[in-house]
Amino acid sequence: MRMRAIFRVLCAVSAFLAAAAPPSPAGAITFAVGGAPSEFDQWERLAREFEGKTGIRVELLRQPTDTGLRRQGLSVSLQARGSSPDAFLMDVAWLAQFAASGWLEPLDPFLGKEGCAGREAFFPRMIDAVDTYDGRVAALPVYVDGGLLYYRKDLLEKYGLPGPPRTWDELLRYSEVVQRGERRSRPGFYAFVWQGAQYEGLVCDFLEFAGASGEFGVENGAVVIDTPRNREALRFMRDLIGKYGISPPNTYTDMREEEVRTFFQEGNALFERNWPYAFALHESRGSPVRGKTGVAPLPGWSPGGGAASLGGWHAGISRFSESKPESAKFLCYLASYDTQKDLARRLGWNPARRDVYADPELLAKNPHFPELRAVFENARPRPLLPYYSRLSAILQRHVNAALSGMSTPEEALSAARREMQAIVSRYR
Amino acid sequence: MGGDRTIRETLRGWAFLAPLAVFILGFVFVPVAGTFIDSLHREVTFLPRAFIGLGNYRSLSSDPWFWQSLRFTVLFVLVSVPLELVLGMAFALLLHRPSRARGALRACVLLPWAVPAAVSGRVFELVCNFQYGPANYIAERLGLTVGPVNWLGSAWGAFFALVAGDTWKTAPFVAVLFLAGLSAIPGDLYRQAAVDRAGPLQRFTRITLPLLRPVVVVALLFRTIDALRVFDLVFVLTRGGPGGSTTSLSLYGYDAFAGGDVGYGSAVSVVLFLVAFALSAAYVRIGRFGRGLS
Repeated sequence: MRMRAIFRVLCAVSAFLAAAAPPSPAGAITFAVGGAPSEFDQWERLAREFEGKTGIRVELLRQPTDTGLRRQGLSVSLQARGSSPDAFLMDVAWLAQFAASGWLEPLDPFLGKEGCAGREAFFPRMIDAVDTYDGRVAALPVYVDGGLLYYRKDLLEKYGLPGPPRTWDELLRYSEVVQRGERRSRPGFYAFVWQGAQYEGLVCDFLEFAGASGEFGVENGAVVIDTPRNREALRFMRDLIGKYGISPPNTYTDMREEEVRTFFQEGNALFERNWPYAFALHESRGSPVRGKTGVAPLPGWSPGGGAASLGGWHAGISRFSESKPESAKFLCYLASYDTQKDLARRLGWNPARRDVYADPELLAKNPHFPELRAVFENARPRPLLPYYSRLSAILQRHVNAALSGMSTPEEALSAARREMQAIVSRYR
Repeated sequence: MGGDRTIRETLRGWAFLAPLAVFILGFVFVPVAGTFIDSLHREVTFLPRAFIGLGNYRSLSSDPWFWQSLRFTVLFVLVSVPLELVLGMAFALLLHRPSRARGALRACVLLPWAVPAAVSGRVFELVCNFQYGPANYIAERLGLTVGPVNWLGSAWGAFFALVAGDTWKTAPFVAVLFLAGLSAIPGDLYRQAAVDRAGPLQRFTRITLPLLRPVVVVALLFRTIDALRVFDLVFVLTRGGPGGSTTSLSLYGYDAFAGGDVGYGSAVSVVLFLVAFALSAAYVRIGRFGRGLS
């Protein structure tokens, strides 16, 4: 009896250990991915196809959707120098931390050889600025994201407005006209929804409001954040909620990507700031805004002065992997023309390769692709620093506090600069 | 012969204790010591490890968000724990009275305790929701507010939403502890008190409370330590917002870990551990454990 109990405990313990570090059999690699269920199906399919072509088996390690949780899971196994997973997807915001921690195998030896794409296939802003660390390519982009302005074509027409706004002032003017009119039949109508909750998305939005001259970074050891342009942007964001009342009061408590998307999709808004993923969902069957949604580059403080925050996911190989050549083959397969086109067609992901944007079949299905390409060519990455997420956490709290009225934009940015400076001096 | 037997008994006792001792050593002492050692190092994933003594603690002392999260955490304990104890006591007294519906009532009261904190966080998020939350509906119906209120939009609103979420979930737990304590009090005492013409209030303060004291201290201890470590509810309901006003110590340590600074996060954990340890020691002393009843 007792022996059996002990045996059971041993079984449980060994099962736990095995689950924590599943060994990949010879000729197989483990690839960590996360996301929506529909995305997992596509990964399964890609893995099967890859095995059929190369004989290399790809085991998928499923991760949650939340990017923070995904980073935690990966960094735990990488800190322990575990050989599994061999390769994984990374959010653009963690790349610098992973590369600086020495967790990523340089990919230069594999690029441009044996049918693998070379650097020139990708957006230069991406491969040079984001994926290259210390002069070496640490990851390959799988898909790119950038902030976009979604608008209701039918409502602009109804109120005789010429087209999507090119400046924030135009956006404000259009919003006030349409909101006044729509409120008569829809008391819960707010003209403009965007991400204002205290989380990483708020930083992306804030930098976009600050426009092409938005300033966030570390120059010669000094934190740049408390600038006139940023203060003005933050005042504008606060006023959208309070003074102008065109963004809902719960913008700074609830509004993340999905809350913003559903608010717009239910027909309660005129403008929406969101990532490209929202387009396919707005156009899906049963969506109240189907066929009424337009996509445009974000406005700026002057026409053409807007800039999107760069988002997107990148694939890298663990420094501790025991199957690096096989993993590199899989990454090259992900970056191939056919796979990139396939993912764009099935999931609406924006290809990381420039040439796919000219594909006639894709263009027929996604006429807004050329416009998107221009947005991504000009998208601005957040600071590529290993301690970026520490800085971001501080900025999130202060910007959110200014939106909630707990502090003024001036106080918020000057406190953020002071606290970030302490972080920078600690890690430099 | 007798001595032999005692030695054997002692050995056997130790043998029974050994697995537990190994367990506590392996799963409590080793991690706590490891965390303490990490907190004395610059232990950052992207920098070489280096011993820096109290460097992390010095950084903490000049970090406004550390003090903010400590202030929030202490205030959260001070408000939510007494509330939970009072409510738990009320539930327990009600449920202790013999009644036909007692079983069903007990199950009802216990239900929130069975709900995971992450789920109750989501429930309270929905309750407070600006667009379609019942809190706004009820408040407006009662004439308390005009138009929808963004409950989680102010520091105080978010704080009380968290207190409400925690109390809703854990008052039942306290009630169960108190119920167990109440059923251990001999009924004779109350009958004698009735003979002496003691009123309900007198019976409560002279019999129930004193005899329940050890249970009260245990409940206080459990709830204080749990409330100090509050993470899941905050993580789901407010994520520390608005403006970082509801960042708990655990959440702050987690932020540091997630940002790659294991040493700094460990220092936060050590502070949390020390606060919990000091409070527990104080309670045990106040509770006068081991001196028996009366």
